[in-house]
Amino acid sequence: MDNLASENLAWVVLFGHIAIIVAGGFITVLSESLVRALMGLILTLFGVAGLFFLMAAPFIGLMQILIYVGAVSVLIFFAIMLTNAWPGGDESGNISGKKVIFAALAAIAPAVFLGSAAIRTAPPSVFVPEETQVSELGKFLLEPYILPFELISLLLTVAMAGAVILGFERRKKK
Amino acid sequence: MSIMTIYHLVAIFLLCIGIFGIAYRRTLVGIVLGIELILNGAGLSIMASAQLTPTPNEIGQVGALLVMGIAAAEATLLLAILLVVSRRFKNVEAGKLITMRG
Repeated sequence: MDNLASENLAWVVLFGHIAIIVAGGFITVLSESLVRALMGLILTLFGVAGLFFLMAAPFIGLMQILIYVGAVSVLIFFAIMLTNAWPGGDESGNISGKKVIFAALAAIAPAVFLGSAAIRTAPPSVFVPEETQVSELGKFLLEPYILPFELISLLLTVAMAGAVILGFERRKKK
Repeated sequence: MSIMTIYHLVAIFLLCIGIFGIAYRRTLVGIVLGIELILNGAGLSIMASAQLTPTPNEIGQVGALLVMGIAAAEATLLLAILLVVSRRFKNVEAGKLITMRG
């Protein structure tokens, strides 16, 4: 009885988060104002973080909130602010129906192929995932996965140095 | 339908809505939002594949973390590129940027 109740609760949480993700995705791509679109993106990111929690990976869920919601969305806010967003919605104005049809076709093509492949070739999956200790994760990152770990730190350093150089470019010319 | 398929379908939805956004949006910032959706879907898919099958869980969790690191690096660089583009061309509409030379 108790087990059944918790299983029903798990389904409710799963489909609730999927509803949040779908709603946020549509707000992100269809909203006229870019700030509203960014709010939709944040909604989607919170939904995905909830799915990570549901998959018994609370550390990755918290990292998702910390990195995506905390850092990446603030960076995109800066991008909207610094690129002269104009009032009345940056994406307002009539968009031709042809463009909508082509965009929808571009989106539906991978959906059909990948969706059918995912449904046909799905291996049997466990219903209750196990939680991994963060200490084991750290050990895994520093022993077999040391090369990707170092490469990602190099990538972040290079990206930040490149961003700073691009930002100073104009002043050097003057 | 196994439970992992549901997660994979959500990830495919994120991929498709991101591609739709990239094709549909007119400004470069809107395109960046689509790219973030796609990357998030990739992380979700990797995570579900490792967490809900007998594969060691650490692979999926570290993979999702690496995807997040790449997304952070990409967002930083895109902010700088958008800044330079908006200074040089005075707008960030993808249809109006027809020259690659400054």
